[in-house]
Parts: sequence; C-alpha cells; structure tokens
Amino acid sequence: MQNSAGSPALSPQAVARQGGMAQLFKNRSLRGAVGLLSFFAIWQLLTSIGVIDAFLLPSPVAVAGAMWDMAVDGSLWIHLGASLRRVAIGFLLACIVGIALGLVSGWWRGVADFLRPVIEALRPIPPLAWIPITILWFGLGDSASYFLVFLGAVFPTYVATYTAVRGLDRNQMNAALCLGAKPWQLIWDVLVPASLPIVLPGMRIALGIGWMCVVTAELIAAQTGLGYLIQQSRMLFQINNVVAGMVTIGLVGFAMSAVLEMIERRVNAWAPSERS
Amino acid sequence: MMQTIIASDTPSTAVPVQIDIRHVGKVFGGKGGDSAVIALDDVNLTIRKGEFISLLGPSGCGKSTLLGIVAGFQGVSSGKIEQNGRPILRPEPSRTVVFQDYALFGWMTVQQNVEFGLKAKGMAKRERAAIARELIALVRLSGFEDKYPHQISGGMKQRAAIARALAPDPDILLMDEPFGALDAQTRVLLQEEIARISSEAGKTVLFVTHGIDEAVFLADRVVVMSPRPGRVRQEVNVPLPRPRTAEMRSDPWFVQTVNELWETLKPEWQKGEEE
Ligand SMILES: Nc1ncnc2c1ncn2[C@@H]1O[C@H](COP(=O)(O)OP(=O)(O)OP(=O)(O)O)[C@@H](O)[C@H]1O
Ligand SMILES: [Mg+2]
Repeated sequence: MQNSAGSPALSPQAVARQGGMAQLFKNRSLRGAVGLLSFFAIWQLLTSIGVIDAFLLPSPVAVAGAMWDMAVDGSLWIHLGASLRRVAIGFLLACIVGIALGLVSGWWRGVADFLRPVIEALRPIPPLAWIPITILWFGLGDSASYFLVFLGAVFPTYVATYTAVRGLDRNQMNAALCLGAKPWQLIWDVLVPASLPIVLPGMRIALGIGWMCVVTAELIAAQTGLGYLIQQSRMLFQINNVVAGMVTIGLVGFAMSAVLEMIERRVNAWAPSERS
Repeated sequence: MMQTIIASDTPSTAVPVQIDIRHVGKVFGGKGGDSAVIALDDVNLTIRKGEFISLLGPSGCGKSTLLGIVAGFQGVSSGKIEQNGRPILRPEPSRTVVFQDYALFGWMTVQQNVEFGLKAKGMAKRERAAIARELIALVRLSGFEDKYPHQISGGMKQRAAIARALAPDPDILLMDEPFGALDAQTRVLLQEEIARISSEAGKTVLFVTHGIDEAVFLADRVVVMSPRPGRVRQEVNVPLPRPRTAEMRSDPWFVQTVNELWETLKPEWQKGEEE
C-alpha cells in the first residue's frame, strides 16, 4: 500500500486484490462502505455546485481539512481522548449497576415488582433534562459527564439483563442443577453464556447512547471533549471545526458499535439470532 | 379388567427399593381463592434398582410434575418421596434428566455438553474428555464431538442429551418424553438404543411417554396414570425378555397388551382432547 502511489504497474498482489474486490462487492461490509462514500460524494457535490451555502454547511473536503489541521496540532486527540475516557467510565458504572440490578430483579420476582416501576418512570426522562440537576450536584467537572453517560447507558443495560435472565430456559437451568452444577459453574457456564445474546446487544445500544450523552454533557458542562470542541468552535464561528467535531463523533460511534457487533458475532455464534 | 393386563407376578422383592413415592400430592396455585390445580393426588409408586418404568398417560395427567418431583426440581404438597430411604430435597447427580426439548447448552459443543456433569464433579480435564468420548461412542455420536447443538439433527441432539445425562453415572435416569419431537423412524431407532443403553449401563429408568407401544416396548413395568386429578390408575408388568428386539413388537402378548391399554385409555384421551 505504501508504494502504490509511486508504481503505475500493478503488483501481482494488487491484481489478486482486485480480483478479490469483484468478489468482495457482494460482501455486505463493502456495500456499507460504498453507501458511506456515496453519502460523502453527494454531500460534496451539493456544496461544490452551490446548492448548499458553504457558510451553512462546509464541504466534506473542507471538513476533512479542518480535521487534519486539528489532528496535526493535537487538539483533536485531546478532545477525543477526554470524551472517550468519560464515556468509558460512565459506561462501566452503568454496566455494573445495570447488570447487577437486572440480575437481581430478573431472578427474584419480588425485587422486580419493587424496582421496575421506579426504573420505568426514570427511563423516559431524557439526559438533557437531567443537566440542570447534574450541574447542581456535580458542578462543571468530569463527574457531571460520568453521571450523564451513566444515566443514558444504565437503562438499556438493565432492561437487557432483566430480559435475558427472565428468558432463561428453566429446563436448561434444571439440567445444569441435576448434573450437579456448582454455583460458579451455573453462573459462568450457563447463566452468562445463555444471557449474552441479549445482554451484549443491549450493552452496544447503551454505549451508543452513552456516547451521545457525553457529547451533550460536554456541550454544557465541560472544558474538554468533542462536545466542548463543537461548542467552542461555534462561538469562534469556525463552522468547519463544528462539523469536523460532529463527523468525528459519528465515525467514532460507528467504529465502536462495529467492533462490538464483531465481538457479538464471535461470542454468540451459537445463538439463533446470529445465524443468517 | 385390570387383572387381564397384569400378566406376570410382581417383581422380585429381593431387589431393594430405590425410589419410594408414598401418598404424594401436588397442588398448583390456589392461594387466595384462585382455582387450584390438583396435578397429583395420592400417588404411590415404588421403583426398584435397575427397573425400567414407563410412565404412561394422557396429556395433563401430571407425568412431568411427578418426574420433576423425583428429580428434586419441585417439592411435594403432601406425602413423601425417598431415594434409598432418604427424602429427596433437591436435584442431585444421582438422578439426571433427559428433557423432551433436549435442553442442551447451545453454547457448548457436544463434547462440552457431555463433560458438564463431570466438570461439576471436579474431574481432571484429560479424564473427563476420555469418559465423555466413551459415552459419545455409546450413543453412537462419534465424529460429532465438536459440533454445536444447532449443527446436528434432532435425533442426534437427543443422543447427546442422553450421553450428558449418563455422564455423572447416575443411579436413576429420568426421561420426559425424550422422543416426542422426533419422526417415527428415528423414534423407533432410539427406542432400541435406549433399551440397549439402559440394560448395558444397568440404570434404573423412569421414562415418561404418551406412546403406548413405546411404553410397553421399553419397560419392565408400565405405570398408567389418569388425569384430573393425576393418579396412578394401574400397573402392568411386562414379561418380555431382554434385550428387547424389534421382533417383540409383533409378539402376541405385546400386541394384545398395547390394544388393551389403548381400549382402557381411549375414553381418557378423548376427555383430554376435549379440554
Ligand atoms: N407450574 C405450574 N403451575 C400451575 N399448574 C401447573 C404447573 N405445572 C403443571 N401444572 C398443571 O398440572 C397438571 C399436570 O401437568 P404436567 O405437565 O405434569 O402434565 P403431563 O402429564 O406432563 O402432560 P404432557 O403429556 O402434556 O406433558 C396440568 O393440569 C398443568 O396445567
Ligand atoms: Mg409433560
């Protein structure tokens, strides 16, 4: 790949790769890439022929230029790193709490009866509505972001875990018990793998929501992060940087869910939902 | 009427009683006035070591409930149930279950499924792999050790489930309509296999079914249950020799017994269908 710009003649590998390309076109991820590229191409077209005013929406090329500049001067990485760290911590907390609560309320009917109404009433409150009280409680520091990410991610994690535990096959549990399963074996060899086909997609959705929440939090209550970058650039009328921040958020979110989906396919290969 | 069916004398009293079910009743629901279901009412049954018992009866007569109680999955509402003189309180690897829907662990290979009960015993990896391979050979599944349950047929899944249940070397094997979901041919093949395996392994078997010929073909004793409330209606001893072979299905005694059982059960089956 490194020397491809310099050599006009195609190497054998490159030819083979091209032959593979024809095959690959039937591949679903390639179709995805084509869709994404077309999106950028149409966007570029609309801005360069002037259908869209560049002052309202900069062209992808201009945005890429802005991203490049921020990547070179390092500011992009600082903001990205800050956002990633916040989402990681908030998401981790959400997983711990959501999975724990989901487990106990899935397992014990009585706990679910107490807990579910509370959770179902808290769940519809959008994270944005939590911002005033979040600032009141946590001020403008990182904790505010952790809390908002936590709020966004905890409910889908809880619901997925609860659903998974409720849906456990009684016969499978009984089979494990009559085979003499010890508690650790019941948990690690039965409960966990049986739940993953539901819990992992729930965690992927939770991470996506957490990623949206961290940006929301940073728009208002932070001094770093991609949300802060967007807000700051808006104040400085750097529309290219605003969109560059948005594109970064989109691409990183996309990459996160793609990676998680890949893990899911690996781990849950046995499950009916993963077979095509 | 019943006497005509009971063809041989009671089994030898020299063999010790393994499972003793005495005056067992089981009621579902009924708390706070909503209608209670009497699933079992005064069920009495003794199972001797090495016996193969078929539990036969129409849908809803409490066969699965009784099996679940013997397994220790649920308690009794009244009466008592003992294994070798000790009350059955919880599931134990001395009584393993083969379920109608297999209940194999979908995330484990056939080999890992069979090893599950051995792992629970804390057996070393090498040893349990060897034992599991032997059992897989016993149920004629060699070559499919590394397949996942969704990659094998229904009949194969049932064989795997049988191997898994045999792995902890139980005293008694409990089977709840294990062949219910299989086509007729596979069913007949597996019936012959289970007859072979149970006598080779010398296990006590409690086999739930609503197939009359299956019940008679496999059992030393057929226990017939009737519904609403679930009761033991009669017991039929099967004098056919072992090993059971396909020709025995045309044995006059076999044919006559199956027909007589069908005649006695028909009204109840019809009653069951109307519910
Ligand atoms: N957990 C439960 N709660 C309430 N009622 C139950 C429960 N389990 C079984 N029953 C009732 O007890 C009765 C006996 O059920 P059981 O499953 O033992 O029948 P069965 O003989 O195994 O029937 P089948 O041949 O259809 O499997 C039925 O009327 C059923 O509705
Ligand atoms: Mg049943």
